[in-house]
Formats: sequence, C-alpha cells, structure tokens
Amino acid sequence: MAVFTVNGQQVEAKKNQKLLRFLRDELHLTSVKDGCSEGACGACTVIIDGRTCKACVPDTDLLDGRNIITVEGLTDWEERVYTYAYGKAGAVQCGFCIPGMVMCTKALLDVNKEPTDEEIKYALRNNYCRCTGYVKIIDAVRIAAKVMQEGILPEEMNNDWHIGSRVARIDVGEKVLGTGKYPDDFYLEGMLYGSALRSKYPRARVLSIDKSKALELPGVEAVVTAEDIPGENKIGHLKHDQYTLIPVGGLTHYLGDAIALVAAKDKETADKAVKLIKVEYEVLPHVYTIEKAAAKDAPKVFDEEENNICAYKHISRGNATEAIEKSKYVISHHFETPWSEHAFLEPECAVSFYDEDGDVFVYSTDQSAHQTLHECSLVLGTDKVKVQNALVGGGFGGKEDMTVQHLSALLTYVTKKPVKMKLTRAESLLVHPKRHPFYMDMTMGCDENGNIMGVKAKVASDTGAFASLGGPVLERACTHAAGPYHYENFEIEGTAYYTNNPPAGAFRGFGVTQTCFATETLLNMMADKVGITPWEIRYRNAIRPWETLPNGQIVDDSTGLVETLEAVKPKYDAALAEGKAVGIGCAMKNAGVGVGIPDTGRVKLIYEEDRKLHIYSGASCIGQGLGTVLTQMIVSNTDVKREDIVYERSNTWISPDSGTTSGSRQTLVTGEACRRACEKLMEDKKAGLTVEDMIGKVYYAEYLAKTDPLGANVPNPVSHVAYGYATQVCILDSQNGRIEEIVAAHDVGKAVNPLSCEGQIEGGVVMSMGFALREKYPIDENCKPISKYGSLGLFRAHEIPKIDAIVIDKPGLKVACGAIGIGEITSIPTAPAIADAYFRRDGVRRYSLPLTGTPYERKG
Amino acid sequence: MAVKKKFPYRSAVVACNGGCRATAGDAGCKDGCIGCGACVKKCKFGAISLNQYGVAEVDEEKCIGCGACGKVCPQKIIHVHECANWIVVKCSNKSKGAEAKKQCEVSCIGCGICEKTCTAGAIRVMENCAVLEESICLSCGMCAVKCPRHAIYDLRGIYTAKE
Repeated sequence: MAVFTVNGQQVEAKKNQKLLRFLRDELHLTSVKDGCSEGACGACTVIIDGRTCKACVPDTDLLDGRNIITVEGLTDWEERVYTYAYGKAGAVQCGFCIPGMVMCTKALLDVNKEPTDEEIKYALRNNYCRCTGYVKIIDAVRIAAKVMQEGILPEEMNNDWHIGSRVARIDVGEKVLGTGKYPDDFYLEGMLYGSALRSKYPRARVLSIDKSKALELPGVEAVVTAEDIPGENKIGHLKHDQYTLIPVGGLTHYLGDAIALVAAKDKETADKAVKLIKVEYEVLPHVYTIEKAAAKDAPKVFDEEENNICAYKHISRGNATEAIEKSKYVISHHFETPWSEHAFLEPECAVSFYDEDGDVFVYSTDQSAHQTLHECSLVLGTDKVKVQNALVGGGFGGKEDMTVQHLSALLTYVTKKPVKMKLTRAESLLVHPKRHPFYMDMTMGCDENGNIMGVKAKVASDTGAFASLGGPVLERACTHAAGPYHYENFEIEGTAYYTNNPPAGAFRGFGVTQTCFATETLLNMMADKVGITPWEIRYRNAIRPWETLPNGQIVDDSTGLVETLEAVKPKYDAALAEGKAVGIGCAMKNAGVGVGIPDTGRVKLIYEEDRKLHIYSGASCIGQGLGTVLTQMIVSNTDVKREDIVYERSNTWISPDSGTTSGSRQTLVTGEACRRACEKLMEDKKAGLTVEDMIGKVYYAEYLAKTDPLGANVPNPVSHVAYGYATQVCILDSQNGRIEEIVAAHDVGKAVNPLSCEGQIEGGVVMSMGFALREKYPIDENCKPISKYGSLGLFRAHEIPKIDAIVIDKPGLKVACGAIGIGEITSIPTAPAIADAYFRRDGVRRYSLPLTGTPYERKG
Repeated sequence: MAVKKKFPYRSAVVACNGGCRATAGDAGCKDGCIGCGACVKKCKFGAISLNQYGVAEVDEEKCIGCGACGKVCPQKIIHVHECANWIVVKCSNKSKGAEAKKQCEVSCIGCGICEKTCTAGAIRVMENCAVLEESICLSCGMCAVKCPRHAIYDLRGIYTAKE
C-alpha cells in the first residue's frame, strides 16, 4: 500500500499495481493513455516529483510520498497556454501521444524558461509520435515557452475559417487536455474485459478445444468458440477469408488467429482464463516466404483454395518489350522492400454493449464505422448493430480490418453485458495487417536524351494469412509502378501470395511506396547513364496537364508535378553546388479508390435544436483532420460561421456511409459531398428560410467519384478522379553522413488547411525515413514477429532532420473546391530520394530497404 | 570550477555500486571499484568522491564529461555517458550468477530479466553483466524497476534510491 499525491489530492493505492493502471482504472484519469504498457511509446507520461516518467513503469508501492501530476492537474493557465500553442503550431493529429507530449513540455518549461531546440527535442525524445514527424510538436513547445515567458495569451489567433487558412484544428482542445475519448477511455458500469486465445502454431489443425477449466475460474463470464458464433465465421473487407475464431477441424493461418475468447470481470482474470483453455493441435508444415508459397508442392495456407496465390494482376499498354529492345539505354534490377508496421500510437480497442434499442452498440477506433457495422453484422447474423467511432489514435491503413470490434460485439452478444476488448501492444504487432514486403524485378529503357521509352516489371508480395486488401494493394503497386511520367509502353505482372506470416494489407502508400522505390531508383541510375542530373531526367519525363499517363489516362489542369520539381530546384542546385550528396524522388498517388469501383462520399448537414449546423458523415477522422477540412469547406461555401458548426464523429445510424478512410480519399470524395450539401443548404437560405425554419431539416448530398475499370475498352480510361504529385529531395550532411534536410514539395490541388498539409508532409516524410533507413518488422522461421514497439526502429524527436514542407497550391480540379488528398503520397518518394543521396555519398547502389551502411543503421 | 557545459550534457558514470563495499577482499568482486581513489585525484573539477560504501561516485552537476577519470581507472569501469540517459547499469561484475550473488549485495547476476523486459532491445547481458546501449535506450526505467538485484539505477532517484 502506498500513499501519494495525484494532482494535489492525496490518494491511497491499496493494491500494488502499475501506476498507469491505478491512474486509469481507479482514478479514471484517462488523459494518461495506454499505448504499450511496456515503456516504449510515452503516451502515459506523467510528472513525478518534477521529472517525466512513463506511468506504465513504476509499481504504486514504489511511489509512497511522491507527487504526481497528469494533464488533468494542469492549472487553468497552463491548459490555455498548451491548447493555444499546440493548436497554433498544428501539432495535433491523432492526438494519442499529445497528453504525454504536454507533460514533457511542462516538465521542461518548469525548469527551463528558454529552451534551445536541442533541449526541446531531448525533452520529447523518449515519446513516440507517428503522425507529425515531431516538427510541429517542437514548434508547439517553442510557442508555449514564449507565451509562458510573456505571461499573456495572444488574442484569438486566426478567425478566418475559409479554405486556405491556417486555422488550429477543431479537436485541439480535447486532445491536448485529454478529455476526448478513445474507446479505451470508456469505463462502463459492469463492463467485462475480453481476451483472446491465439494459435500456438502458424499452421496447424485444431483437433479439440477444452474450455472447462477456464469456465471454472471465478470471475469468468463466458468462454466463446467458433460454434457460439450466430452468423458467419469468415469475414473480410472484400474476400471473406478472415476467420473470427478457428473452429475444431479448422486450419490455423498464423499465430494471430483467435481460437477462443474469454469475457471476465477484469483483464487479469480474462488473461488467466485464456491460459486455462486446452487446445489439441495437429501441427502442420507452414509457409513463411514467397518462394515457399510459390513452390509446386507448397502446403496450402487455406483448405478452401487451390494454391497460395491470393491475387494476380497483369497490366499492359503499348508494347513494353519492343520499346525496351529499341531503347539506347536499358537497365534492369531486382529490388526488395521489407515488412513494416504501422505503429499507430493507440492499440486496437473496442467497447460494446446492448443499447436501449436492443442493438449491439460498438465504440470503435477504425477507418470506417460502416465497414465495422457490416462485418459485425455478418458475425452476429443480425443487422441490429450500431457503430460509433470514438477518437482514432492513428491508423495509416492498419485499422481498416476487423481486429477487436467483432470480437467485442460477439462477447456482448453472448454475455449481454458491456465488454471492452483491447489488444496488448504485442498482440497489435502480431494481429493487424502490415505493409506488404515486395520482390520487384524491373527493366527500364530510355532514349539518348533520357526519355523513358518503356518499363517492364514483375513483382511479388507476401500478403500473409488472409487477403485483407492484398489484391487492391497489389493492383495499386502495379498501376503506379509506371511513375508520374508521360510514356506509353508499360507492362507489369504481379502476384500476391498467401503465407502463414501475419497478414499484410493497407499501409499509407498502398503498394506504391514499394514499387516507387524500384522505379525511381532505376530512373536515378538512368540519369547517370544518359549523363544528366536526376532532376533533369524527371523534368524531361514529367507528366504535364493534358498529357497521357502510361495507364492511358489524360491528366487535367490540376496536374502539378512540374511545379513540385521547380519548387525543390533552388535547394537541389545549391546543395549540388556545395558538393553535398543529394538524392531525389518523385511520386504520384491517386486520391479516391478509382478503377471503376463504386466510390461515394455522403454528407448530411442538419440544423439541430442548439441552432448549430451538425456535420454527419460516415467517414472516419483517424487523425488527419477531416472534421476541420469539412468545417472549412462549410464556412467557404455557406454563410455559416465556424462557431455555429459542430462536427460529429462518424456513426452508422445518422451518418451516411462515406466509405473507408483509405486511398487519400476523404478530403476529395467526402469533401465534394459536403460542398454539394452546402449548395442545398444555401438554396434554402437564399429562399429566405431562417435557422429556426431549418431546424430538423436534413441537407443530404452525395458524390460518386466515377472512374473506369482497369482494362476498360476505352482509348483513355479515367483510372482515378485525381492524382497528387510530389518531389522530395534528400540532402546529406557532408561531415557526418546524416540527413541534413529533406525538401518535400507536394501538389495538393487547393490546400484546404496549409498548416494541416504541412503536418501530413512532415509526418509522412519521417515515417518513410524510418522505412528507408531503419524500421524493421522481422519475422522468424516460425512466422513469429520478433520486434517490440520500442525496437521497430521508429524515429525519435532528436533524430529528425530539417524538413522543408512545401505546399503547392494548384487549383484546377473541378470537385471538392479543388482539394486533392495528401495522406499517402507524403511517404512515397522519400525512400528512393534517400537511397540516391547515399549513393551520391559513397557510390554504393542499394536495392533493398532499409538501407545498409548509413549512420542510422542498427546492427544486430 | 566554472566550466560552461554544452548540451547534451555528458558525465562520467562509475559502473559499480559498491555492494561488496569495496572492502570484502578476496570474497568480494574482482571487477568493481576497488576504492583506490585514482579517479578522485585525477578529476580537476572535484566531481568524483568515494561514497559511504567506499566506491567512486560522480557528481553529474560538477562533471564535464572529459573522461580523464576513465583513463586512470585500473578497473576500467568508468565511462562517459549522456546525462539525459538517466537509466544506468552500476555494476561490472563478470562472474557467473551464483558467484556474483555471493560476492555482492547488488551485483548483476546476468539473469537477463532486463534484456527480456526492454522494449527497445537496448540492454544486453554480455559476459554475465548487463550492458546498456544508450543510443537506443528510451530511458523508461522498466529494467531498473524489474532488476531483482538493484544493479540498474535511475540517476534521478525516482524509480530507485539515489545511492
């Protein structure tokens, strides 16, 4: 037992437990976020006797007499200063790391009134942020220091909420002060805790399950196996091949497959009960590489399939073989990119219960509440399900699939009680789909002037234990492998293989991050052959408005690749002149799903009794700032003031389905639906209706982003309604070989909020610095991922270089006020740019990631 | 002595906490501080003294991280580290577990709990003794909290006593 002070109150921890558990579970101080419980992430940072400490580390018994401060214990003045500073800087995205960062800020400023940038970085460096790349959090600390010094909060900052204005996001307050709720922050009366028994072997047949011992454990309310599922066992985004629970007689596909679920009065009991479930397995040989999956006599990952091929794509336009044969210069090479982990700060969590309508109600953190509704309904065999998005602590593609939502719903269905189902960080690392590792063989042919004549490629990906979005990722990898250049002859063949590894699916860039590394590296090599700079070869080949992409699409006025190249040129040339090692890469990325798949944005605007206009759209804000984008669109397209607009988080019963937050699509697709709803609203306003007249009326609009399917029999198919373009340059420090600066110029159409755009760019660049230089997600021969959160190799605050985020505003797109999504492209050209910079430094071409022989490499 | 320090601050650290109290003679540890005072004499800044257990201890406030002490230490157990890495292993005992246990109250016995606990893969048992790679360490202190031998310290004195 220990007695200590928390936020000025003396408290007593009767049971010895981790401070984090005491603060959250007993005191309900939910600003203290549980991101890993293993000392890595820093989301649970609190201040103990003036020093920052991760609350998951100390036991309460160790803390007798200590003085502890959490975000809830900030003074009113501190609350206002940090909210202002973090908002002004644009430091808040998903928000999950923010309370911890605020604690670091306070601990620093309490003892150091005028910290240097280096000191600020060190104060933040034990805390991870996966969204921002730290740049704007460092800015926030600097601003907070200044305000603290001056003792006066600047007058209301930016009141102009029109498109193009750098306003502070609408969710800054709740994220800085930790009052906004992620699913884990819900503590319901009588809530049970769920835990899953996962397969002991990557590939084995389940012969029997004995749950009797687990059921006998006091506090256990239910042990659920496949036979208890009222609806479908198999679910999935597109292909239904993801088992909710492996049945007796069924095959396990990876170590993350759940076999049984326990609901118990607390998490400890649930975990204990899981260990008491006895499963008999027939252990079978497993498949752990692409080669093994492709072998003729390979064991089949799925009983139901003929072989291990999950998806196959062949795309061809013109005649690549002939064009390459006729080319003056031809280069071929093999490339490889690794698995990577999203490492969003908030682990998967869902809370479910029966609501007053008799529906299973799920609070979820995911990329589409409607998708969660569909899949939970499948499992439960009923559409009496509601899903409400809570705050989402980062996704990056990793929260598109079901991980806990359906399991929580199932436990509520069986027990009739509220249930919280949360993955431990180790489970999260194992369970949710990763970025696909790719093997790529690519050939490029150019004429004597460096004009690309043709590209031919063959790629293979490991999509792991179930399809997830393996097919579409492969497709996007293939379609975009051509690059943002104007040539005609392109052919690519791609295969995605099932293995018994963890599944792979969507991850920021959606396959393009991988093939872009190959294409751009070949282009850099080609520039040397031709004898021009890598910048020049891109400028010559760059797609310009009204030219034709290798996929046959004619691009429109909004096409801004050339502008991004021109934007980086001064720094590129200056660095070259100084003899520095400089690398460059370009990219294009679709906004919207495209290729003929129905892709609809839907928005309802409703004046409610509070006389405010509420935005309802079934589109998840996973940290990118969708609510702010829609608010700015409404201010720009109506006469409604910012203070009269309320953004409602996505739900499934009022908010119409607006598709998954994926493919950089929400700003464009949901944005255009919102703009159309604004038009309808304004018609009524112009007709003289007052707000009172309009209360309860629904202004609904939708936008179908219409595209042509791949291989459509038209001369110039529209594969995507819009593309974003980018050029990134990496400049190395001549002395130490570290990255001195990354210049990232992005064509975003019309920038709705340039501050948020910069935040996306900085975050994407730092994420891909990890992809290029250090991040690993190694999987051993038994298909077991061996990294912990802290050893993934994520970049830390003191390691980031200067990042010059250049937002190129190039209107021209006819929808969504000209805005093109920027979510994914920010992390696409980074790796090839960095790889080329290291080649310029040491003359070694690197064909696989993460790059070896750099100062960032971790040995062993 | 007023010496302007440059951030990030660096300081010497003695990898011994004197569990055998430096005086146990033959029964004590062969690898730790022997209390010879060579480092104390060498330090121009008065940053090192022999503590209550008779082993050298660094005052990080005074130390400038020049490393002179490390060069004269006959046991080679003083190294310079960044002060921002407040979690340190204060033991150099290379004897095997059982023997190390006999020799000292607070010796590392190479049990590996720290290595298993560390999320960052920053701490490893090498030659029966935990070694921390500071460039990777996230200073969370999980190893210090879990160490059954109290051989890993939080220099801030939050998770472990200051001495």
